[in-house]
Amino acid sequence: MTDLTVVEPWVAMPLKRLKEDARLLSGVLLHPSGRAIGQFGFSKPADVMSICALTSAINASARELGRQLYGKPFYEMHHAGGDRQVFMARCLAGGQEFLFVGVFDRESSLGMVEIYFAEFQKALEKLSPPPTETAKPLAAGDFEGELNRSLDSLFGPIG
Amino acid sequence: MKRRPADVVAALSHVPGVAAAMVVGAADGLIVEMSPVKGAVAGAADMRKHTAALAAYLYSKVSRASHAARLGTPSFMRLEAERGHICVVGADDLVLVTIVTPEANLGRVRLDMMQAARDKT
Repeated sequence: MTDLTVVEPWVAMPLKRLKEDARLLSGVLLHPSGRAIGQFGFSKPADVMSICALTSAINASARELGRQLYGKPFYEMHHAGGDRQVFMARCLAGGQEFLFVGVFDRESSLGMVEIYFAEFQKALEKLSPPPTETAKPLAAGDFEGELNRSLDSLFGPIG
Repeated sequence: MKRRPADVVAALSHVPGVAAAMVVGAADGLIVEMSPVKGAVAGAADMRKHTAALAAYLYSKVSRASHAARLGTPSFMRLEAERGHICVVGADDLVLVTIVTPEANLGRVRLDMMQAARDKT
């Protein structure tokens, strides 16, 4: 397990508070494109890379599933595993959308995670990403490059 | 419970001094059933979801402490605050939570909550 690391410093405080208040074991904040913004609880870039790619795909699938079933996208997901549970939801800041995925165990609860994630959402809404850190539209085929750059920022250059 | 959660909440919310009553999942801290908050100011933030999640969490920690002290499962938990009390009683996979005014008859609240918790299958 590692301490919190961020690509964009403005998310550090709200993310730290969410981690501590909700007693999360690990978590990643990312752009819907899969670019990591901040993480805690991970020591391997490959793990964060996988989580970003999977979260991005799950988010896209869940939204489409919601649209197909109810005419509205699903924005929040919870999976209760045997020992550990996964919570996934979206938040907004400065008109931009972000995704969060967090893992917790019996030291927390879904109710706790939900209330502190709501506070995290409010905190993020009050903040705006600095213009220089605003996510640029991804060029087609640059997904891997963008992901690697964010992982370098989180864990340092590899190799 | 023999009585439905809605009936438990309705009964507890009529106990004098109970401002709000909730049946909450012990493991997830999510509200199963809740009463309106008596005397709530229109437009004020609804803190029942927060109260439910935190009370269930606190009760789980108190249970752990009680077991660590070899006292067994706690039967009743009361948190006394500046402007009232939060009372919690465990009922297997649920917890009953009430928000109580300072003027309430706590003995009656305790009795009714424990009766409601016992009144289960």
